[in-house]
Amino acid sequence: MVVLREGMCPGLDEGLLRDLRAADVKTVEDLVSSDIEELAQKCSVSYKGLLAIRRVLLAQHTAFPVSGADLYEELLSSTAILSTGNPSLDKLLDSGLYTGEITELSGGPGSGKSQVCFGVAVHISYRLKQSVVYIDTTGGLAAGRLLQMLQAETSNTEEQMAALQRIHTFRLFDVYSLLDCLYSLRSGGLQQASVGGGSVKAVIVDSVSAVISPLLGGIQNEGMSLMIQVAGVLKTMAKDFNVAALVRVTQSLMCSALNARGISSVNPNPSQDTSSSYCFET
Amino acid sequence: MTESGAQLFARLEGRRCLKDIEPHLFPEDGGPDHGEVVELCGTEGTGEFTALEAPVCLNCTAHLEPVCVSGKTELLYHLLCRCVLPEAAGGLEVDVVFVDTDYSLDMLRLVSILDSRLSTALSTSSSSAGSEEAALRSCLSRLLVVHCSSSSQLLLTLHFLETSLSSRPSLALLLIDSISAFYWLDRCEGGASVAKQEEKLSKCAELLGRLLRDYRVTVFATCHAIRRSSSGPAPSGSYLCRPWQRLVTHRLLCSRQDPAENMAAAARGSREQRRRQVFIVRCTSSSSSSSSCSMKGFRSSSFCVTDGGVEFIGTSSSQDNEQSQ
Repeated sequence: MVVLREGMCPGLDEGLLRDLRAADVKTVEDLVSSDIEELAQKCSVSYKGLLAIRRVLLAQHTAFPVSGADLYEELLSSTAILSTGNPSLDKLLDSGLYTGEITELSGGPGSGKSQVCFGVAVHISYRLKQSVVYIDTTGGLAAGRLLQMLQAETSNTEEQMAALQRIHTFRLFDVYSLLDCLYSLRSGGLQQASVGGGSVKAVIVDSVSAVISPLLGGIQNEGMSLMIQVAGVLKTMAKDFNVAALVRVTQSLMCSALNARGISSVNPNPSQDTSSSYCFET
Repeated sequence: MTESGAQLFARLEGRRCLKDIEPHLFPEDGGPDHGEVVELCGTEGTGEFTALEAPVCLNCTAHLEPVCVSGKTELLYHLLCRCVLPEAAGGLEVDVVFVDTDYSLDMLRLVSILDSRLSTALSTSSSSAGSEEAALRSCLSRLLVVHCSSSSQLLLTLHFLETSLSSRPSLALLLIDSISAFYWLDRCEGGASVAKQEEKLSKCAELLGRLLRDYRVTVFATCHAIRRSSSGPAPSGSYLCRPWQRLVTHRLLCSRQDPAENMAAAARGSREQRRRQVFIVRCTSSSSSSSSCSMKGFRSSSFCVTDGGVEFIGTSSSQDNEQSQ
């Protein structure tokens, strides 16, 4: 919904706006949908002028059609595949995380979802030298664990620090701050985050379900709407900025909303030697 | 509204009829005519179809989940490919507008389907890699993609598309994926009043109705089974507003075949076949002239999804014409 305002386009002045309001035309949609000839008579303005206003407003607010050939061309030149650092996971994902796509990671508690997220973050920042945005909603991100993983890669402290510098973390614990964060990232925050090092190639949200599942259910449909909003902003961000989004959920509850490629991790027998690596799992 | 001579001819000149868009899907001679709307329903999920298993961490395994729950998106790509492919490759060679409200159009997948169709069709004639690439480009240039992020933008975009419709007589198909994308957003925005909640989609449906009358294109729209209906077993778009439901003339309901049934069929087949998911699509057409419930035709067919897109396994049994009750 876009409310008509003065100066939105040439010819839309205060007087005309008042007349339009009187004729119950308050938004761009109202104006575009109404019969221009009738409206011109009601507001006593020239038909041609009003038609020109309609055309300009329509061009300003519509989604522009793109030819499939151009889209394909753009895709070929801009898509990158980020390796997750784990050969078998890469194989599973057709060689890695695709930029412009959302990859959903789900699984039961203690199955290693967060560890996969950490591993991907470390791999992208250290091996690929690109920035990562890590949104932590559970408080499960431990810098110590990231460092531990980096120490396994290199013993050079400077390199370790540089890699940690490239992981930008956000800690937030409710869906409104998550939306706020994603919107600000979309409107310029991503470029800002990439000033320090390589450009941001991945956004990791760990986890979405932690903030959304409390709102679902019951007779209120606000939770559904918020979930769709989160999915929407992630999808547009992935497409427009060509970042790969890795989203962690506990159940495949967002499947429909995200339209994501899904991987679920299963941990059939957590034995002694791996249990230590799960100590940060919430 | 003024109309130029070229636009008038574009509007009046016969557009390609899409009755034969996919003979497997619709009852005999019951394909979507000019200006008809087909709704594709199914449970949620995307076009992934492989179910692999690989050890990932030290001791845990990961599955690439077969998230393709109903095969709806694959079916849509199949129809899209059929329309944009050249006649030499068994296509209809018409222009298509794809309205992507879910941001779900997977161009790589679409291209791989087109590629495999083109290579099978053109393999008979001697062709080089260059000519195949050119053929692919020309297919893709018949496709127009629009991304919409809100229902008001969808409404404005439909208004805007009117110029494309009037200037391109070869444009015969409008795909909307999906029409239910903004359902929850609208419901939340509309507050307590149902009329307010449904206002935007009703406006879109009314406008679409007018465009269909004036330009006689065919519309395919997908619809998520948002609500797991407690009353009826079949998910459908019946939760969407009345104006939209009045537009719909054909309903395609996709679902995955029961694993048990699938197993029985696969027990006979090879290991390779056991991996294949089989999907069933049921078509219900109601005649556009009369009101809601008079049934014209019913048909069910099954398909599986391969690397090269949808493959029909044959029309299973029931192809009967029910008379209205």
